[in-house]
Amino acid sequence: MPEKSRSYEMVESLRLGLDRIKSDEGIIGYILRDAKSASIDIRDPSKIIDYAVLSSAALESGENVSEVFGLGEVYSVVVEGKDVKVLLIPVGNSRVSVFMRRDVDHERVCKELHLK
Amino acid sequence: MDKDTYAVALRNTLTEVRNICPDITCSFIFTKEGIVIAGDEQSVDVPVEKTVGFFQGLMDKATTIGGLNTMIVNGSKGKVHISSVNDMYLVIAASKNADMSHIRSIANVIIPTVLKLLKTVVPTPPKMAPSQQLIVESISGFFVGDAVQVDEEVLRRWSKDFKGKSVGEVEVEAFGGKVIRCKVKVISDSQSKGKGLIRVPEKVARELEVKQGELIRIKPVEP
Repeated sequence: MPEKSRSYEMVESLRLGLDRIKSDEGIIGYILRDAKSASIDIRDPSKIIDYAVLSSAALESGENVSEVFGLGEVYSVVVEGKDVKVLLIPVGNSRVSVFMRRDVDHERVCKELHLK
Repeated sequence: MDKDTYAVALRNTLTEVRNICPDITCSFIFTKEGIVIAGDEQSVDVPVEKTVGFFQGLMDKATTIGGLNTMIVNGSKGKVHISSVNDMYLVIAASKNADMSHIRSIANVIIPTVLKLLKTVVPTPPKMAPSQQLIVESISGFFVGDAVQVDEEVLRRWSKDFKGKSVGEVEVEAFGGKVIRCKVKVISDSQSKGKGLIRVPEKVARELEVKQGELIRIKPVEP
């Protein structure tokens, strides 16, 4: 299967997965974006800009940290605050950020999105 | 505890943690202000300041999720766990197969406990018991007892050295090397007061092998 087509399928599968988990207990919302577009579903719309900025900065920091420590390709970055955490995963040319309450098991979320 | 001792203790702790958990490739601790406090022996090979810089850049943006408590970067060749510990951040880099529950235990239990201990453990300087030399005045009699007698002034000074606690025992050392521990009280005979004397019961003097007029060294026992 051509790379472009495979990537498209992955993103579509991810989109379905996100739709499936968005109403789960503790999930606050998600941002799925690529170079041209973004799908955003965040429960509190007033947080969208802050969350988008955080997503971008966190993934960039994660990539920089990976470079410094020689971690290779970044599979995921998790940033936890006092109340909320965000799971960031690069998928092909897209990047997904899932926001959730801190007590949610992010590894379970990863599995449910078939990303692990 | 001074900063150097604190840093050495932390560095040793991180090195020991690495020894018992070989999946850890490097670890270090820095403050929110970006000052690296301590790192294990491997951290010298890593540009820690760069990591601190990346992390600090993220701090402002993380206010929207209630601050920055933890960051985990999971890569194809390894992972990095950065977590808030008291007022500092602990960075642990580990191999890709490292057990995250171990790393979390280190970050959330072991290091915070060590930091807490280091904060509370303040080395107590050994008390320098003020010894002094006095001239022996031998005493005898039925009611003399076995306590040596010194000036009230000496006892008062010792009491002050020990935060008001009364000194009830002393170590008496003869220049011949004999040392005994015995009770101490104030000189009862007004004729002997204020002359730098120590009144020693005959029995004690015999044990110390000292005679009237000789010098002996006396040191209070901490109450």
